[in-house]
Amino acid sequence: MSIQFKTIKELSSMLRSKEISNHELTKETFNLIESYKHLNAFITLNKERALIKASELDKNSSELSLSGIPIAQKDLFVTKDLRTTCGSNMLSNFIPPYSATVIENLEAAGCISIGKTNMDEFAMGSSNETSFYGNVLNPWGQNLVPGGSSGGSAAAVAAGIVSAATGTDTGGSIRQPASLCGITGIKPTYGRISRWGMVAFASSLDQAGPMARTAEDCAILMNEMCSHDPKDTTSLDEDVPDFTKGIDAPIKGLKIGIVKEFDLSKLDSNVVKVFEDSKKHYESLGVEFVEVSLPNINLSVPTYYVVAPAECSSNLSRFDGVRYGNRCDDPKDLEDLYIRSRSEGFGDEVKRRILIGSYVLSAGFYDAYYKKAQQVRRLIKNDFDNAFEKVDLIMSPTTRGAAFEAGSMSDPIEMYLEDLFTVPANLAGLPGISIPNGHVDNKPLGLQLIANSLQESLLFNVAHNFQMTTDWHLKTPSLEAK
Amino acid sequence: MDKETVTTISNLSRLAFDKENEEKITKDLENIIKFVDQLDSVDTSNIEPLTSPLEKTAKTRADEVTSKNRKEKFLKNAPNANEDYFLVPRVVE
Repeated sequence: MSIQFKTIKELSSMLRSKEISNHELTKETFNLIESYKHLNAFITLNKERALIKASELDKNSSELSLSGIPIAQKDLFVTKDLRTTCGSNMLSNFIPPYSATVIENLEAAGCISIGKTNMDEFAMGSSNETSFYGNVLNPWGQNLVPGGSSGGSAAAVAAGIVSAATGTDTGGSIRQPASLCGITGIKPTYGRISRWGMVAFASSLDQAGPMARTAEDCAILMNEMCSHDPKDTTSLDEDVPDFTKGIDAPIKGLKIGIVKEFDLSKLDSNVVKVFEDSKKHYESLGVEFVEVSLPNINLSVPTYYVVAPAECSSNLSRFDGVRYGNRCDDPKDLEDLYIRSRSEGFGDEVKRRILIGSYVLSAGFYDAYYKKAQQVRRLIKNDFDNAFEKVDLIMSPTTRGAAFEAGSMSDPIEMYLEDLFTVPANLAGLPGISIPNGHVDNKPLGLQLIANSLQESLLFNVAHNFQMTTDWHLKTPSLEAK
Repeated sequence: MDKETVTTISNLSRLAFDKENEEKITKDLENIIKFVDQLDSVDTSNIEPLTSPLEKTAKTRADEVTSKNRKEKFLKNAPNANEDYFLVPRVVE
């Protein structure tokens, strides 16, 4: 029987009824990986250990929520004794001595980590083209990008290889690829999920989250991914609710804000139509739409491109060719070792961002750029605080359009604007979800909903209501195995 | 953004570029800095910078040994090490 395109819920029920064994499910997952190898969604596979764990589960069945479910892990989470590259040549031989808290939490819930997914180098990119291991292909087209940076995770779910994958989102890296690949992905509230064992990009923005076929599956994953972690000083010491509870409650009377400052007239009219149709659909479910003003929201991308590179330049200083990672051949002295190891190990986009970071943090420019951006960041957060006094959620398209062709976007700033609608939630630390809501030219689009801090349950509820009454999340690409 | 500035920040970043790349990177950086210069248009006087969405003091934990010494495992990832130390080119003559 085919396991392709199945949800966690469906696979769990097949396992429980013994329609399929754990070993068969994992084995079949590796067959699918092989069939769709050309998508380049994986960097490293965990075949041997995954099959052993599956066989053990067949011998000793468990009632754990993710028991036997194969999950693809973004190659940004360190995995004990399993190579972790973060999409970079810098870490092409790095075997972590420990696992990220997210990985430990998911594996303790019974999941089977089947491998590490391809991604933009150090999560810096929106098309997966900055990966040292080659770009990932979007299952929805011939030469389309899957988005980024969690593009391998998104493509693996969209191709139906796995029911779920992990991602991380610093400026849209879960929501944007989810949108471009026609799947569901959520960036939780900053601090909800431990950052311990995530290779750091921009520490005040980075947040892990689940990617799956449905909002309900994302809720199931979130239940296991969230925990208070003493090893991460920014981990929230908050109770983790059961995110599936009340997920199908009616949403009549809910108020959703539409941002006045997002000028949708600049987008393709078909993209706008998909958005307007979703609005009408929610109205039919009893939602009331209200215009809200977030006066500084259009400064989010420039703010992000000061804050994120600044934090990146600081975080990536650890890659010095001494303790781990790439080291150049025959260094003539320590300086030469640092400079050549880094220059060989990092790709162009990573170098660009380190340089911008060094620039905005350097003496004489710190106040004009770094401090200024942090002040604007406060204004953006204040805008959200004011808006959430009037509405329960804020809705927008996730992206400006559908997936574009690989190689078609060469201007870095054009690429940065891919994250126009997603970056604000990172700056303000708010949870945001992207759900499939339509197609343009047979390519999927996503709808973004942003909630106030810690309101993920509301996001799941509103997303699930959409998915109970539409079928966009059920559409699958016509894929040829190669 | 001129070549001198790019040389300074490349040096601060411990990165080196060949001539051809240097020109491209100078141009890219110039465009990016121009793009973020939009922030100048906002009045931010008396606005407290927001460094993190969590405006709480970072929590600390007790300084207790939580796992046994895994020196060998950590040294294994080093490009060059002996039994006890990471090895680098001689620093002091």
